[in-house]
Amino acid sequence: MPEPDENHSKGNIVLVTDGASIPDPREWRLINAWSISLAGAICVLAGLFLFSPDPYERIVRYLPDGMLVTFKITIMSICFAVPLGLLTGLGRISRNRGINLIASTYVEIIRGIPLLVQLFYIYYALSRFVTVSGTTSAVIAISICYGAYMGEVFRAGISAIPKGQTEAARSLGFSRVQTMFLVVLPQAWRTILPPVGNECIAMLKDTALVSIMAVPDIMQRARSFVGTTYLYFETYTVVALVYLIITLLLSKAVSIMESRLNYYDGK
Amino acid sequence: MTANDPPMTPGAGVPNDAPIISVRNIWKFFGNLPALQDVSLDVRAGERLVLIGPSGSGKSTFLRAINRLEEVDRGQILVKGQNIMSRENNINLIRRDLGMVFQQFNLFPHKTVLQNVSMAPLKLLKLSRDEAEDRALALLKKVGISDKANVYPAMLSGGQQQRVAIARALAMQPSIMLFDEPTSALDPEMVGEVLDVMVNLAEEGMTMLCVTHEMGFARTVADRLIFMADGQIVESGQPEALFTAPRHPRLKQFLNQIL
Repeated sequence: MPEPDENHSKGNIVLVTDGASIPDPREWRLINAWSISLAGAICVLAGLFLFSPDPYERIVRYLPDGMLVTFKITIMSICFAVPLGLLTGLGRISRNRGINLIASTYVEIIRGIPLLVQLFYIYYALSRFVTVSGTTSAVIAISICYGAYMGEVFRAGISAIPKGQTEAARSLGFSRVQTMFLVVLPQAWRTILPPVGNECIAMLKDTALVSIMAVPDIMQRARSFVGTTYLYFETYTVVALVYLIITLLLSKAVSIMESRLNYYDGK
Repeated sequence: MTANDPPMTPGAGVPNDAPIISVRNIWKFFGNLPALQDVSLDVRAGERLVLIGPSGSGKSTFLRAINRLEEVDRGQILVKGQNIMSRENNINLIRRDLGMVFQQFNLFPHKTVLQNVSMAPLKLLKLSRDEAEDRALALLKKVGISDKANVYPAMLSGGQQQRVAIARALAMQPSIMLFDEPTSALDPEMVGEVLDVMVNLAEEGMTMLCVTHEMGFARTVADRLIFMADGQIVESGQPEALFTAPRHPRLKQFLNQIL
């Protein structure tokens, strides 16, 4: 049995949400929603740190360990969720009735269950049969959940490629699989990347849920800090700002990658 | 199919008497609408066929049925004696021998012009990169566009894109070329450059099936003109004969409308 977490009755109402909005790569003005948010968050954090080192310096020093755990869970989940999403998307457009049904059922079931319930299910409910660590169950639950959402993204991105591309490749003698991997996916990736990036950022935010299972991520570190100091306002202010800065930076990174993928538009 | 059939090799010749393409009584339905009704046609190697007809007459469907981009519901299509519907024959190998050019060009936008043309020989025929690129460059030269080898298709005009598409189809060294309204999406001033390439190809003896509205091209290039209406071949024969002395009222009506 996993150790019950003494904190898990508090503050655990978090749902799967849409990710941060990806900045438009064509946005050239210096002052926009993204830059205001980022500058604001950094200024507030720096201001608190400078003008009120106690307790903010202590809080800021306490969190980085948790940040590593958050990143670790996010990256591991991305590594499983993206291939799972690709498989699901391919399954959803498959002509094979069986494969199609499996993929569609998976998406239907997962989308109907809150991520938090899925996390609890794998961590607590399934512990009757297998015991998995908090981190592992977090990665499994998040990957399975986001795999289903990304499946839809992949399906939509693949379907958006004109049929003529497939016909041209097939008429040259490429097989269905070769056509998918040489012609369709490389083009679909461009439409897929922003929403997949978005899902990855949403995923990072949703890793805050794992604090409930005593996984020492940012949120859990904050909660244990609060547990000894009772500095709720100060701690959660810093946590909010840290998450905000991370997601803003990541959404910019996705935006830059997106514009890099536009290389063949010409003109 | 019997075991005695020769294996399909691109560019392999067939006996002169045997048709290179043999279409027998094919039917194709879109829902309840018959797009092709009991169409039969034999094409000999080196023959240049032009298919004309009003829109919705089934001529594009017919052309696309020959390389199985459209699956026919009834009937049989033999390409070099191989039934293209049969599970025993690998359609991907048969398609290598059937180059196709589309109305909308359908170049791969994420590949350069050179990559578009060299991709199939590189990946399917397993040529080395040098060999594939040499072949591609030679073809690009042939269609008069070798100076654009390293740009992306979006940088090209419609006429240039279509010439690249022809080069891409030729890169597999097919023995038959299918053209599906290759000039219909082009601005008028670009039609000529594409037709020139096609005329050259015809002069080299390529077996060609071409759906087009270019009557001048049909008249000068076609060995045989096929007029389709309502999913059927209504009249066929020497282009000169069809243009000057059409017999079927549908063809008369069609020629009156376009000439």
